[in-house]
Amino acid sequence: MARSLPLTVNGKSCPLDDVPDSERLLDTIRWRLGLKGTKEGCRSGECGACTVLVDGVSTLSCLTLTHEVEGSALTTIEGVGEEPTGRAVQEAFARAGALQCGYCTPGFVMALAGLLRERGRAAPTEELLDDLGGNLCRCTGYLAIARAVSTLSKEGT
Amino acid sequence: MSGPFVFVAPPSVDAAIAELATGAPGEVAVLAGGTDLAFVLDGGRAAPRRVLSLRHLPWRTLDWNGPVLTVGSTLPLRSLEQDPEVARRHPGLVQAVKAVGGVPLRHRATLGGNLGRAAPASDLIPVLLALDAEVDLVGPNGARTLSVDRFLISSWHTALARGELIRSVRFPEPRPSAYLWQRVRPSNDISQIAVAVARSPSDGGWRLSVGGIPPRAVRLREPESTLRSASPSAPAVHEAAEAAARSLPIAADRRASEEYRRHLVATLLERAVGTVAASPDGGR
Amino acid sequence: MTASTRPDARSKLEGSAVFGMDLEAPRMLWAALVPSPVAHGRLKTVDLSPARALEGVVAISAVDLARLLPGSTGDPDRPIFPSGTVEYRNQPVAAVAAPTRELARQAARSVRVEVEPLPVAVDLEDVFPEWPGSDADGSPHIAAHVRAREGDIEAVFRSAEKVVRETYRTSSIHQVALEPHACLAEVVDGEWKVRTCTQTPFGTREDIASLLGVPEESVVVEGTWVGGGFGGKGAALLEPYALLLAKATGRPVKLALGYREEFLLGRTTLPSVIRMETAVTAGRIVGRRVRLLLDVGNALPGRDFATGYSIGFLLGPYRTPAFEVEGYAVRTNKPAFGPHRAPFAPQCAFVVESHLDHVAHEVGLDPEVFRRDHLWAPGDTTPFGQAVGPFGLPTAFDRARAVAAHWKQDGGAGTGTGVAVGFWSTGTGAGGEARLLLSPSGITVVQGEREIGSGSVLVGVAAVAARATGLPRDRVTVAYEDTAHAPFDSGVFGSRTTAVLGRAVEEATRTLFEEIRTRLGASGSVQLEVVGDEIVAVAGTARRPVRELLSDAERSVGGIVALGRHYGKAGTIDERKVEVGAFYPYTDFTGAAHAVQVSVDRATGNVRVLRYAAFHDVGTAVDTASAAAQVEGGVVMGLGTALTEEALWSEDGRLLNAGLLDYRIPTLGSVPPIEVTFIEGFAGAGPSGAKGLGEPPIIPVAAAVALAVRDACGAHLTELPLSSERVARALKLL
Repeated sequence: MARSLPLTVNGKSCPLDDVPDSERLLDTIRWRLGLKGTKEGCRSGECGACTVLVDGVSTLSCLTLTHEVEGSALTTIEGVGEEPTGRAVQEAFARAGALQCGYCTPGFVMALAGLLRERGRAAPTEELLDDLGGNLCRCTGYLAIARAVSTLSKEGT
Repeated sequence: MSGPFVFVAPPSVDAAIAELATGAPGEVAVLAGGTDLAFVLDGGRAAPRRVLSLRHLPWRTLDWNGPVLTVGSTLPLRSLEQDPEVARRHPGLVQAVKAVGGVPLRHRATLGGNLGRAAPASDLIPVLLALDAEVDLVGPNGARTLSVDRFLISSWHTALARGELIRSVRFPEPRPSAYLWQRVRPSNDISQIAVAVARSPSDGGWRLSVGGIPPRAVRLREPESTLRSASPSAPAVHEAAEAAARSLPIAADRRASEEYRRHLVATLLERAVGTVAASPDGGR
Repeated sequence: MTASTRPDARSKLEGSAVFGMDLEAPRMLWAALVPSPVAHGRLKTVDLSPARALEGVVAISAVDLARLLPGSTGDPDRPIFPSGTVEYRNQPVAAVAAPTRELARQAARSVRVEVEPLPVAVDLEDVFPEWPGSDADGSPHIAAHVRAREGDIEAVFRSAEKVVRETYRTSSIHQVALEPHACLAEVVDGEWKVRTCTQTPFGTREDIASLLGVPEESVVVEGTWVGGGFGGKGAALLEPYALLLAKATGRPVKLALGYREEFLLGRTTLPSVIRMETAVTAGRIVGRRVRLLLDVGNALPGRDFATGYSIGFLLGPYRTPAFEVEGYAVRTNKPAFGPHRAPFAPQCAFVVESHLDHVAHEVGLDPEVFRRDHLWAPGDTTPFGQAVGPFGLPTAFDRARAVAAHWKQDGGAGTGTGVAVGFWSTGTGAGGEARLLLSPSGITVVQGEREIGSGSVLVGVAAVAARATGLPRDRVTVAYEDTAHAPFDSGVFGSRTTAVLGRAVEEATRTLFEEIRTRLGASGSVQLEVVGDEIVAVAGTARRPVRELLSDAERSVGGIVALGRHYGKAGTIDERKVEVGAFYPYTDFTGAAHAVQVSVDRATGNVRVLRYAAFHDVGTAVDTASAAAQVEGGVVMGLGTALTEEALWSEDGRLLNAGLLDYRIPTLGSVPPIEVTFIEGFAGAGPSGAKGLGEPPIIPVAAAVALAVRDACGAHLTELPLSSERVARALKLL
């Protein structure tokens, strides 16, 4: 069974037709909306590469049925830079050189953008780093990412 | 892979119960946060014809009534862990919640879903046992309440009757508590062994529970009863922990031998009791 | 480091970089592989009809190969689809293509595969409980055998003051790049074209041509961005299947692995059993014997870097007057041994460092002094007679020791420190070429490698080009072209990329400057200056904007083109020491010394890494920011090898932990602060004396952690990973 689904994507109204009930949000984003920035990693909620924001809240799109987020406002890596927090995260990562192959990068940016919205920029670096434990990286060893996080936290609100 | 299904999101509790009641066993899968259900579907371990979403039900709640905390079954775990009152009055519960996956996962995962799944390695169930939590169920025959201990039957198997849903989980009183786990990694991991320890201010008794050993997390009532004071002596704690470890049906798994797991149970229990006894309101 | 020094940062941060997993084409079909249900057996039936009955599904197996590849024999040692026996669980026995990914998976599951089981060999020590005897060479389980000696080791052992003998065991570890393998193939006008996330476009092309049995010129490989390689994306894996289905269907075919399949089909480091024996007299090593049993899965990797290459790492960077080394590559029913980052070297470093540390303990000597006294100095020769050349490892070792000693002073109870070294051989691969294009406003390096993340291409090669041409970095671009258009390069592996391509760029620059000198009609050295937005060429008193130096033809292609190439000379070993098989010469020695402080929980055996310092012999740091990033990433990867990573198999050859929850790589919460120091001045073969850095950072990590654990609690571990239970057992807690 498939049916239509109202959705806002990166600020634009984007109603979808004929989305199968079993479709995952990750696949809707990548193959139906053509937004490939959200990455498919493990597809089982263990790596965080698929992280997006649903109504501003970080969510693993690989585990989410698309119909479960009907009517929500979805933000992906392609749109997160339109908001000051998202842009600040991207710039902090670029300055800190907090990426190498880039595959985990969108997931980290989205997870961190979500955290900063939730906790505010005054949240201590240590807590932000604890809260990023659900995102895996194999290239950087996390230290450059931690440096990026600490610049965001110190900057404060 | 489980095949196509129909997604339904009933607008009310009654509609949800009615929807659930119309399906044959196994035909309808309940979707709370969906973080476990996704696995189940992908692994082909279940092939429901319908998936029943609870997203519209009014159960994303957290209420205090004096000392009693009632958590709605579809409240995201992240909301629970971030509540300052819960952190203050139920530190062990917050420790356990933070052990579940990562933050994006906890934005959807729920207490009700975790309890209903009854995974032997659930990070939350040992603490629920140590806090004497109760589960409120609602179904076609009305509402009932069971202790979590009675609600859990075995691995992946609860006392949920046909057509019933978990409405909320209730914690009767704040207790000094500690949750310790043995894991390979500090985050984003599943515990090999987990212990939850609490002491009840109202009856002075200890609660010891262990999780990660199939078939299910259990209370260790015999060893509990040997701890008679708020600050038991080191030998008493050691003996209770050893006795607890000896009493459990521990087997080797591919990750650890039987001897090591038994050793861990004793070690973590001993530490957790020490932590609670030493905590500000624990040693009284 | 800023975005301007990492040219790929923006596209990766904004989500526009296209990886193999992202590839898409109109009318594309999705493919799926049909796995063998058992690890070893005679293939009886591959019935594709249930799959073919599904709408839109095309299915192929061994019987279709003759039709799809007329006149070709392919590689008899590596059949695309087996027709006789299957040699490892999940070995592809057929492949399907379908309009959707779900339907492809469903179709693959519907194929009926019948295999008559044969005995399965999984555990090395079940295949050879004792060291193989002299009759072993005839065994079907032996894929390779190597032996070499210097002197009479038995006599040396008899007359030595003490001989210390130990057995070590190491586990299989997986690359775990976050992006699974994926490719998109199309066969058009006789051209086999594939876009794929590969570390080695040319190597993959060669591999595809060999597997399909088609001419190399008919294969075109275009690399996408790569979401991590670490050795696992250096050869053809999925491409032949996707290409065959593209040929069979006449449409583009996308094949992408799920993450579970990444583990099940991955070719990586496999387990080993290693016997180390060392004889000491008057505090000096007088002889060593090394015996390596290495699991190589179902096939020997083409180059046997497995045994012949690894033995040298088991001897380590140490002087040894007499030795006997022997290695057996053992066939088991698993996917073939494949390269991981610094293949098998971290395991070897763990073994040799732990063993020599133990030897020192046994003879009552300071373990660090003992190893330092035997460490190669610049100018030494290796046990196989190669000149070590400029070698910064002794300096690195001394620095690491000093840091560890300092940490020891404020280390509390339950903490310990360890210092370990590892050496590496860089500059491997046949060689590489690069084209320079000097346009009126900048210079472009056109080459055939994709940036896989380390920065070796986009940052390292750019830095070399800037230095060589004298232009600022923002005037240098590195461009990628596919195998049909780019000059040849061996691949991004072996820590060779910046060094080899860098040399090629330097040569191209020399050629370019010669040409400019001629066109200016001047003598004297050439300089390129930036004036406004233009490049101006200067030599002596002559001075012209590049714009004015171009011919019409050059104007139409964008500028002056100059080609450079670098094909390194292979080293040679003293073959008189070799008795059996082949040992491989190393080139361009480099190394690192790491210091680590850990705390050990004496009740649980849990190890926590508190502090880390890495000292690397880099020759010259071409770009310090990306170099430091390599060290950080490699160290953390090494911590996984040291503490948590281990592939586990059942007796019937099933990989038990084929997922990220059960195969644990380090997470953010488990990394210590890491201090990185570059030891410069011991020049290597790369531009300005640079040595490769992609792999050395992972090599000494497990060794350093093991030594620190011993220092913290006395537990001497002889197995990797250093799991809590192994520590607990060594502490006699159980």
